[in-house]
Amino acid sequence: MRDMASLATLERWMQAVVMHPEGAEAGIQARAARALLADAARDPESVVLPSKNLTTLERLGIYADMYYLRLIEVMEGEYPTTRQLIGEHAFAAACRHFIAKNPSRSHTLNALSLRFPDFLAKTLPRTARNGLAVDVARIERAMEDVFDAPRAEPMTAAQFAAIGAGDWNRTKLRVNPALALLKLRYPANAYMTALRRGGKPRLPKPRATHVIVFRRGFQVFRRDQEPEQWKLLQALVAGKPLAGAVRATLGGRGARADLVAKRLGKWFEEWSSAHLFVQPLKGTVTFKGDGHI
Amino acid sequence: MSPPPIDPLPARVPNRWDLPDLGLGVGLRTQHFRHITEKWPAMDWFEILSENFIDTEGRPLHFLDQIAERYPIAMHGVCLSVGSTDPIDFGFLDKLKALSKRVKAKWLGDHICWTGVNGLNGHDLYPVPYTEEGLRHMVSRVKIMQDYLEQPLVLENPSTYLTFRVSAMPEEEFIARLAVEADCALLLDVNNVYVTCRNHDLDPCAYIDRIPAEHVVQVHLAGHTDNGTHCIDTHDGRVIDEVWQLYARFHERAGGRATLLEWDAKIPKFSVLQQEVGKAARFRNGARKAAA
Repeated sequence: MRDMASLATLERWMQAVVMHPEGAEAGIQARAARALLADAARDPESVVLPSKNLTTLERLGIYADMYYLRLIEVMEGEYPTTRQLIGEHAFAAACRHFIAKNPSRSHTLNALSLRFPDFLAKTLPRTARNGLAVDVARIERAMEDVFDAPRAEPMTAAQFAAIGAGDWNRTKLRVNPALALLKLRYPANAYMTALRRGGKPRLPKPRATHVIVFRRGFQVFRRDQEPEQWKLLQALVAGKPLAGAVRATLGGRGARADLVAKRLGKWFEEWSSAHLFVQPLKGTVTFKGDGHI
Repeated sequence: MSPPPIDPLPARVPNRWDLPDLGLGVGLRTQHFRHITEKWPAMDWFEILSENFIDTEGRPLHFLDQIAERYPIAMHGVCLSVGSTDPIDFGFLDKLKALSKRVKAKWLGDHICWTGVNGLNGHDLYPVPYTEEGLRHMVSRVKIMQDYLEQPLVLENPSTYLTFRVSAMPEEEFIARLAVEADCALLLDVNNVYVTCRNHDLDPCAYIDRIPAEHVVQVHLAGHTDNGTHCIDTHDGRVIDEVWQLYARFHERAGGRATLLEWDAKIPKFSVLQQEVGKAARFRNGARKAAA
């Protein structure tokens, strides 16, 4: 190695070898590594020396094994119920495949498996168990995202109370950044809850469910929502003013105002206690008026 | 219970920056957050894994803020990639700088290694070839990073499992020259010295003796896994006698250095960590007698 290009080549070669999903030996022979150091495919010792006890391939294999072991271990911690559903070996194989296709580009491991649920949806055989597993994975991923999301102070009861009826057309609520909305094909949240309580739930039949995952203080929660409730929340997350969001989800012709008000009251009470709405950013919203939600 | 006052050991060879001997500390791990913030146990200081507290505003940072109010903190990372041939990630340096300010870190550091190229991150500590070219490259990057961070980097010798054929000098010579030429600080991991020397059939005492003590501001202790044919730096158990002897050997020469026990897998109760790192006092006291 005589210049910087050589150092760069050596690093690229080693990375190609140790990140190969079939191990160091396959990595050395793979096209990516051969394109960088062709001689190494014929004679690995021309690049890495053997030790007294280990061959060159065994020494490279330590790094190759650790690469996948470490990252799979991280994903096992993030997706415990998904793993339980699809089985230990199938989960490890899926992780390995995923990592090979989506290597980390971040300095933190939090972002490693961002696209793992979508990957499972595309690659797992289509069975009821796997369908549920994909939805469980979406919840488990959301729990990770919400865990790390920015902090925000919740809105106070007084601030809610200060939103007058006349303010609804222009008031936009700021939604907690530590909130994720999930529309699922299976009752995955109920299934996870049953498991957590020590039960042995049967595999549920497909049924559309609406789930929120949120952080209150520093604790993460997941909860099922009524479909209209979830849609209203989605509209508020999208930045619609209160009145417009309610009209779009509950205000169809023939809707009885008293029933709508009753449902809204119940939902906002739930959301408020869950801290789903937070202090407005400075200079964006003021709450004035005399009405109540 | 509040932490007891630190009893620094006289430095026979002071470090170049007059960075303090923080005493005996352990790596701060999630499993102990609650215990620490409820009991405030005796511990001189904590080391944090920098990347665990970057890009998150959740529970870990909440606990860290409380802990940093009461104990000295040093930052130690795994993704600075000082040996990489990729461009320096100044955005990452900004985040390190911000966290350092937030927790009033005594210093911040990483490893003498690279962690990825082509924008990828292997989340592992890959060895560099010990060549003149590799040294010049790393010296240049460390200088740029230190200028940007406005403080010396504290760089650790990693455990290594392979040797590049092109390597033209021993690892400890590469590290010593890096420290002097980049004017960076060193974190001497005596367990890594042991692991590396076992894996490369080298003399760990000779390795330790060639490390310039005036650049060393911190020492790491840890357990490892001995597979017979080679050792792996697993941080999953107690420190073995041979590593304690290396620790004592360095302290006899250098005097007091902030000492930290790493225990990252099969993590035991906090009291076990206290007990294990407490053993270091015996070796430090031995060094104290030697210094007197």
